[in-house]
Amino acid sequence: MSADLGGRLDAVGTRGAVAGAAALVAVLALGGLVVAGSGGTAAAVLGLLFSKSTLAAALRLSVPIAFAALGGIFAEKSGVINIGLEGLLIISAFAGVYATSVTGSVWLGVVGGVVASTLMALLFAIVCIEFRADQIIAGLAIWLIALGLAPFASQVVFGSKNASAGATFPDIQQLFADSGVPVLSTAVVSALDTLGSIPFFGALFEASPMVYLMFVAVGASWWTLNRTSFGRWVRASGENPRALDTAGVDVSRVRYAAVLLSGVLAGVGGAALSLSLGQFVGNGPTMVNGKGFIAIVTYLLGNYNPVGALLSTMLFAGLDALQFSLQGQDVLAIPQSLVRTIPYVSVIVVLALFGRTRIPEAAGEHYESGEE
Amino acid sequence: MTDDDAGGDGPSGGGSAAPSPRDRAFDALDRLVAASATERLLISGSALLLSIAVGFLLILVAGRMTSCDTAAYTLFGVGFCYDPVLVYDSLFLGAFGDFLANPLNGQFATTVSETTVLVFTGVAVAVAFKAGVFNIGGQGQLVFGALASALAVYAVAGALSGFVGTVVLVAFGLAVGAFVGGAYGAIPGALKAYADANEVITTIMLNFVATSVALYLASGPFKDPESFANQTRRLPEYALFPQPLFPARANASMVALVLAVVVAVGIAYLLRRTSFGYDVRTSGIQPEAAEYGGVDAARTVVSSMALSGALAGLGGAVYVLTIAGNFQTGVPDYGFDGITVSILAGNNPVGAVAAALLFGVLKSGSIIVDVSTDVPPQLVGVLRGLIVLFVAMPEFFRMIGKRVDVRDRLGGSRDAVATDGGEEA
Repeated sequence: MSADLGGRLDAVGTRGAVAGAAALVAVLALGGLVVAGSGGTAAAVLGLLFSKSTLAAALRLSVPIAFAALGGIFAEKSGVINIGLEGLLIISAFAGVYATSVTGSVWLGVVGGVVASTLMALLFAIVCIEFRADQIIAGLAIWLIALGLAPFASQVVFGSKNASAGATFPDIQQLFADSGVPVLSTAVVSALDTLGSIPFFGALFEASPMVYLMFVAVGASWWTLNRTSFGRWVRASGENPRALDTAGVDVSRVRYAAVLLSGVLAGVGGAALSLSLGQFVGNGPTMVNGKGFIAIVTYLLGNYNPVGALLSTMLFAGLDALQFSLQGQDVLAIPQSLVRTIPYVSVIVVLALFGRTRIPEAAGEHYESGEE
Repeated sequence: MTDDDAGGDGPSGGGSAAPSPRDRAFDALDRLVAASATERLLISGSALLLSIAVGFLLILVAGRMTSCDTAAYTLFGVGFCYDPVLVYDSLFLGAFGDFLANPLNGQFATTVSETTVLVFTGVAVAVAFKAGVFNIGGQGQLVFGALASALAVYAVAGALSGFVGTVVLVAFGLAVGAFVGGAYGAIPGALKAYADANEVITTIMLNFVATSVALYLASGPFKDPESFANQTRRLPEYALFPQPLFPARANASMVALVLAVVVAVGIAYLLRRTSFGYDVRTSGIQPEAAEYGGVDAARTVVSSMALSGALAGLGGAVYVLTIAGNFQTGVPDYGFDGITVSILAGNNPVGAVAAALLFGVLKSGSIIVDVSTDVPPQLVGVLRGLIVLFVAMPEFFRMIGKRVDVRDRLGGSRDAVATDGGEEA
């Protein structure tokens, strides 16, 4: 039984990589269409696409989406579809700014964001696991609550729906320069300086620490899911909870852990989003603006593989970054409110092309020990 | 999977020999109707009360997080800056204004007009739900319906005038809004039916697209050149819904409200008594059985999403033709409130009228909260989310019910309003 299950899970992993690669090609083709559609200015758009600032923006924009996607993978792999990721991002984006303004430290701000998001995830977990709520509706409720609560709290403590923290993350060079450790603050900084002047990839050496944390988190998530017993439990909980129960592991506890982990990860992402700007924007759909939903699409597209999710995140973030660059540079004659729709339209196109991802067998279902 | 899947571990006989899937599905439907109506009402009511209680705590906590010279409210010797009783008083009673002195006051007019639009978006969500699809795109469909209605009516308004003009123009505006909203709703329906794209995600994405495109159109090609705001040209008074009762500046029309109620009742009839309604309901509850029984599943998904979008689009047209008078960017969250309205009403179109009235009161009352207290009006948004959350967890209320020794005599379905099709309430 367990060997059989293991084999099935491995097969899913391989398929994930294949689907991820196929999706990559498809979205690149889509990007090509956008470029081709602009006619004579194609060269200018291509130039922008491969500029250092676009890569820098893409990396920065990836962070919240990638963290939320990693969280979504853990939750859904365990059998709980967490459609409330958007809400977790919103609440942690606000809590991060609030905690930073109170403590004066962005790092404590991140902690604040994580705490708020995890509490929200706990609420979601209780509602879904304990009280057997429909996961989609409960997730939607989490989003709606956060959509009201964050601007409400901002208005209460800052007197405005938009609030600033007065501090942002230092970039990696500054971090090393301020470290006070002799070799780090001299040799490494000058090395980063040199590497940072490389045309396109230079952006990789000038990023915010959260970008590196994102890469670490992707690797760690992959390792946790595929190489640890916790990861095996999570996958089994989503594929065949009965087998896991028979093996003596408490399915509910695994699901609680996975959903709380999704809260922690989304919390890092939300705080990173607001603290990279040092500001929370609570107007309209808030500054999160659909990133939580895009995160869901990125992990579906990456077929629940953290690496695949990162790759598709980079594509969506790349489109978003390009969209920002296009607005800034005025290369295309397309008005910015239309350019802004590119990431959303591409999500729809990608879903239409790759809608049939194989979701975990027991996702969305309740499980009770001893149930027929 | 047996036919009691939709009803959870309800009493329906999984093993009994039934003549045909059609009859079986019908039996299941009837049982669900009988069993769940009272329970649904109890759960919605409890969810509402619980949300209000949590909101009460939230106001107290918020009152501790801000600073003030004198406490507005004292509980167990602890002072709070905000007075929850005053907030709820403003929220629920503010919506009626000075009703006894003048029933047609401005505040009550706002309640009426908000309710009118919410009936449409609530019924829109309910129709999709019945077919087993989750339409979160009501906001986008409403925005496009509103924009199209405003532009189309403006384009032909010059050719008509007077009473005949009103009748023709309003009907025309509604038709355009319904058509455009319906077309926009059909897109995620078709994507789900033929490409298996999750409609929850696609409809949310289409909301963002609609807002951006509407912003482009209302700030560019169709902008009112005489206004600084991003809005289209104002429609002449005779092109708007007549207001036989309320004073002209109140922006509320009883005619529109009556139309909304008629539409809700009509949709309830459509779902209950016609073969289209039968297809929709069986698809929502038992897609496999429905298909086996001869229902074209793909077509049902597309047509019910189109109908849902058309209703949201109608809501947009009514918003333009009663409240706004033109299209302005920054349309309020009617689409999202429609989700709450529908969930609260157990996806019952007629129940949606009552739930819409409750939300109309909350929305109009939030203006009074904003004016007369320091509590941010986003409180209503939090309440909306809480209501959805609590309605989604009927198991919680059943446990409470057992605790206080209310016998489990209601029986029937165990499942909440679910994305795999709601039951009759």
